[in-house]
Amino acid sequence: MGDPLGMAISHAIASGMGGMRTAGDLVARMQMTRGMKIDDAKSYVADKLDVSVSDLTDPVIMTEVREDLEIGSLTPLPGCAKGIEAKLRLSEVLGIDINCIRRLKDKGLF
Amino acid sequence: MEKTEWFQKAVQTILDTDEDAAKEIAAKSLEAGMDPLEMINQGFTEGIRKMGDLFERGEVFLPGLIVASEAMTAAVEILEAALPAEKQQEKKGVIVLGTVEGDIHDIGKGIIATMLRVHGYEVHDIGRDVPIEKFIEKAKAVNADVIGSSAMMTTTQIGQRKLEQALKNAGMRDKVITMVGGAVATDHWAQRIGSDFFGESPKDTIMKLEEFLK
Amino acid sequence: MGKIMTRMGSGFPVEMSESQLMEDLSAGTEDAADRGKIPPLSKEELKYLFDLFTSTDRFLSVETGKEIVLSYDAAPLKLMRTAVDVHRIQSLQIYEKLLGADTLELGHVDYSFKPVKPIVSTEQTVLEQSLLVTHPPLFYGAMPNLGLYSQPDGPFPNPSELMPLGKIAAARDAYEKAVEDAVKDIVYVSSAMYESGADGINMDTTGAAGDADFLAALRATEILKQKYPDVCIEVGMAGEFILGLHGELDYNGNRLAGMYVHDQVKMAEKAGVTIFGPVVNMKSTRSCPWNLSRAITFTKACCEVASIPIHVNMGMGVGGVPLTNHPPVDITSRASKAMVEICRLDGL
Repeated sequence: MGDPLGMAISHAIASGMGGMRTAGDLVARMQMTRGMKIDDAKSYVADKLDVSVSDLTDPVIMTEVREDLEIGSLTPLPGCAKGIEAKLRLSEVLGIDINCIRRLKDKGLF
Repeated sequence: MEKTEWFQKAVQTILDTDEDAAKEIAAKSLEAGMDPLEMINQGFTEGIRKMGDLFERGEVFLPGLIVASEAMTAAVEILEAALPAEKQQEKKGVIVLGTVEGDIHDIGKGIIATMLRVHGYEVHDIGRDVPIEKFIEKAKAVNADVIGSSAMMTTTQIGQRKLEQALKNAGMRDKVITMVGGAVATDHWAQRIGSDFFGESPKDTIMKLEEFLK
Repeated sequence: MGKIMTRMGSGFPVEMSESQLMEDLSAGTEDAADRGKIPPLSKEELKYLFDLFTSTDRFLSVETGKEIVLSYDAAPLKLMRTAVDVHRIQSLQIYEKLLGADTLELGHVDYSFKPVKPIVSTEQTVLEQSLLVTHPPLFYGAMPNLGLYSQPDGPFPNPSELMPLGKIAAARDAYEKAVEDAVKDIVYVSSAMYESGADGINMDTTGAAGDADFLAALRATEILKQKYPDVCIEVGMAGEFILGLHGELDYNGNRLAGMYVHDQVKMAEKAGVTIFGPVVNMKSTRSCPWNLSRAITFTKACCEVASIPIHVNMGMGVGGVPLTNHPPVDITSRASKAMVEICRLDGL
């Protein structure tokens, strides 16, 4: 229905990876682009980011990793990659095709 | 043949959705001296109850349920014709059934209507997206015993509450039983708005209605 | 131990004794096993659930390391329902930055493919703008909603009116025609969204209008995967079994009517679905322990046979979460933990 605290927030805290605070969105991308099950997706992302699987849900470690790689962060600093630019870097870091990035590339923008 | 065998045969014709066999068993049971009322209640009605259970488990599908209900109706007609006039079964009750205004979901309501009919109720299905006034007009016109309203969404559920109020305003609330159904209805919702009961499924609705009409 | 405080499927509090709790847990799994013809939960799993419900902690969570992906369907619509007045793109940003969403989903207020068709170009623009500023993968989501293809909302005779009149062949014909139109609409809208850059398409509440509704989603998936082999398609269901409203529709020789979640997922895999979202509905008149035990039994059977990721639906009134607008966190958190840990889910 429409109760973020009763559902979205409860699930996020009870069992979620953490979204952009951590690496949840990156693991989700591996499920979506490669059809990977959760353990394989986590291992793949950890390998690409050069961190351990347990680091993927640690917001302190992942904030630094995300800032260093400029793949989008929760509280972005001035000048760092955001939005579409962050996704361009992310597609390179994870070695995956991201639909909207490919379409920009096809336009010859970069 | 023992009584129970006749009943079992009647049940089986309904489970087999075989109208010809249902009519044949009905006729032969009369020739054998069976009580038509017992054949209706313990044979064919039991068969349709079992079909309803199977439908709720996903083991029987709506077309099968419809054909079974037609088979039952045909058999019951034969048996009722053999009853003395004073014993002929009256309709258990007159029901007006509809989905509240703003809500276009009518699949569940249609299934409930079918099941109520085959259990001996006179059902007036007034469709979906039905204004409250139409529920009241129809209930008056057919002298309804029961008004059932369905709502599938939290955004349209409020119509069920408005119906209760409108029935009070029309001085009709004490004269009818009201029942609510739909994906978002609960027992508590029924209590809260002053409805008599919540029907969770066809089986649950029929069971509760029979309690109310005792 | 004294009385255990838990809740009914409607969300209202209820007290139970230990024996009542275990009876309900057992009855819930047995009901699922009986209906789905699948194994019930083991004694150890029932004991695990028993411990969960006897815990006096207000909030429970999965063990560290067992976290899963959280995908949210129809996120902008959910904020809209709270009367918080934000634009849909802002809603997506709230979900990604404030609510821990691992995936996002844009959807129209009607949330059905058919009404989106005539306004698809404006929806594409919103999607393209969303993609510029958001980070997690972005779905476009809507329901097949086959009901919209029947009169008076659509062109075909209404099967719900024909069927009670015994016009079974006509009703079935109307369903079959509705499938054809629905497939065209789903493919049209999804193609537009994919070509605007969407990371995925979510067909939500599939099967709500029965076997024909599920068939439309499967056929649309097949076509989309042929057109765009890389497109991610998530199919979320409407119930634990497919209502047989037509009754004879099949997919690759398998009758869809009456299929439970562990068979549904195999159809989804054949069609090319990337992520499958099983649903088990709550019975508001039974307790949460009964409902959760039942939901986990069905979902576990689905996860065990699936070769694609499983994101189980755990919103209002499904997957062990009570049928109430404002689910209590004690039950949502217990359902979340138990579902993830017993079923070894890939996501919610």
